Amino acid sequence: MGDSQYSFSLTTFSPSGQLVQIEHALNAVAAGATSLGIKASNGVVIATEKKLPSILVDEQSVRKISVLSKNIGVVYSGMGPDSRVLVSKSRKQAQQYFRLYEEPIPIAQLVREIAAVMQEFTQSGGVRPFGVSLLVAGYDSSGPQLYQVDPSGSYFAWKASAIGKNTANAKTFLEKRYTEDMELEDAVHTAILTLKEGFEGQISGSNIEIGIVGADHQFRVLTPAEVDDYLAEVE
Amino acid sequence: MSILSYNGGAIVAMVGKNCFAIASDRRFGVQLQTIATDFQRIFKIHDRLYIGLSGLGTDVQTLYQRLQFRHKLYRLREERDMKPKTFASLVSGILYEKRFGPYFCEPVIAGLDDDGKPFICTTDLLGAKQFSSDFVVSGTSSESLYGACESMFRPDMEPEDLFETISQALLSSVDRDCLSGWGGIVYIVTPDEVITRTLKGRMD
Amino acid sequence: MAGSGMEMPPTGGFNFDLCRRNAMLEKEGFKHPRVRKTGTTIVGVVYKDGVVLGADTRATEGDIVCDKNCEKIHYIAPNIYCCGAGTSADTENVTAMVSSQLELHRYATGRQSRVVTAMTLLKSHLFRYQGYVSAALVLGGYDVTGPHLHTKEEAMEMVANAIKAGIFNDLGSGSNVDLCIITKDGKEYLRNYEMPNPRTYVKKNGYVFSRGHTAVLTSSVRRLRERVEVIESDAMEE
Repeated sequence: MGDSQYSFSLTTFSPSGQLVQIEHALNAVAAGATSLGIKASNGVVIATEKKLPSILVDEQSVRKISVLSKNIGVVYSGMGPDSRVLVSKSRKQAQQYFRLYEEPIPIAQLVREIAAVMQEFTQSGGVRPFGVSLLVAGYDSSGPQLYQVDPSGSYFAWKASAIGKNTANAKTFLEKRYTEDMELEDAVHTAILTLKEGFEGQISGSNIEIGIVGADHQFRVLTPAEVDDYLAEVE
Repeated sequence: MSILSYNGGAIVAMVGKNCFAIASDRRFGVQLQTIATDFQRIFKIHDRLYIGLSGLGTDVQTLYQRLQFRHKLYRLREERDMKPKTFASLVSGILYEKRFGPYFCEPVIAGLDDDGKPFICTTDLLGAKQFSSDFVVSGTSSESLYGACESMFRPDMEPEDLFETISQALLSSVDRDCLSGWGGIVYIVTPDEVITRTLKGRMD
Repeated sequence: MAGSGMEMPPTGGFNFDLCRRNAMLEKEGFKHPRVRKTGTTIVGVVYKDGVVLGADTRATEGDIVCDKNCEKIHYIAPNIYCCGAGTSADTENVTAMVSSQLELHRYATGRQSRVVTAMTLLKSHLFRYQGYVSAALVLGGYDVTGPHLHTKEEAMEMVANAIKAGIFNDLGSGSNVDLCIITKDGKEYLRNYEMPNPRTYVKKNGYVFSRGHTAVLTSSVRRLRERVEVIESDAMEE
């Protein structure tokens, strides 16, 4: 029976105190495309590789960065279908908050709600953990923020982080490049350079995706043309 | 008779210069019989946010408990106090949830927002919000309060002048209402301090 | 948390807990209280490049005017607005609910909302409640299917005149005219476009009560901030 007799049920701890399914979920994340995020002094950027299984796939139809509310966006590494469940739950949560308080949901609150859903899926019957880690970027009254949420439901605020394949290399690269007073434009450049480090093949506006949020509190995904402009700048 | 006037009660809030005042009468009656003269209708949500609840006494107290519970939960979750406007939305939401079996309460919400600007607002018993930049009224004396405030209110009053104006508006209005009166209580809130005063009124 | 005795924030939908009690009170002869309504004149006209919506600004509670300048043109989507008449709480909540649903729909489809979509959401909600949610709405917007007829000026004038007809001839309507013009390039919200009913009586200095005029029984002060006192002293005394 698989690699362990403790992997059949989520709600069963192994004798060493681990929930093996969560470890497996983290492996699914580690096998996914690299995503990264950088918090600048005046905004946040998130970026990801958009590796397609075949050149025959219409690359415009694949979108990996999603808008959760006007000022919050998210990118995932791991299983695409799982991320969509979380995206639609989070969008709904953001709307519910707005309906109640007539105020946009603070990023920390939305992240906590997402993490609560992910945690619930490590403890409920008949379900499995989400095979994704998320990087949530937003800008609200407490400034620019970047969060990472893992399949276990744990979450942290980061200055810069990377998830998915090549995480270790990407993080080392970010540690070298990151400065506290970095501006959003520099952060976009750094994000591109970090992606380039581990990129196989020619990087272009159609095989990476970048999302930014600035002091205008508007999160948006850059168009392939805009990404190409940034690529030309870092060249 | 409407159940809203079963216990009587009058509430008014006014905006001053970087401050606001909220006042109510203190009568608690059962129709025409006065039961108590120290009833509380104005409640503190946090240092700079107050709510006055006119209407049926039992619903006043239940609603206040629910609102305080929700604000405490919010403060634990978000580690901050609610903005007055946010709180007004919450009150409106809680009332509209019971659209088809409402609380018999008409709230007045008054507070200072983060940059010290005064905010006042009222809703009907179904939670229809009404914002105002001068004064809002609620309760059995609302008609005479409208008249009194309409003529007595001046923009940009200092706290002490605001106190006199709101007190006179309240006292003269409840004197024309059998169901409210028997003294009054006024809260004047500025960014620096809260002044609480009980008023001497007619006891008939 | 069900059954724990702890009341959790609502997740949507109406709550009927107090219906029995309230029905009992009504049977005892206590009439249902008056709710805030917008007696209301609302209008919408389609013209060549867009639509013009208009509304008066009076809200009433029975025969009392409780808001002289309320907003009756509600946001639905960036390209759609909605005038509301009827019970204020219903028009406010129904429009807010639909605008929320449409925002989610826009995220899911990545397209601009259509007026028919908003209309369908509104009518299915109102039909579901069989008239008990009392909102009469005029929905207007500009979408891919576009609008037609009249010029903008004609349309604005016509709408403003129609609203003024309501303001002056219907007691449930009053105060000012609000307009909202929606075209393919966006919206133009003209709050208080016309103010034909200014306050008739304004006393310049108002009533001034001398300080200390009101008889006070008790008085207390609670400080919210510590007062910082700067004490001057000679620098660096030995």
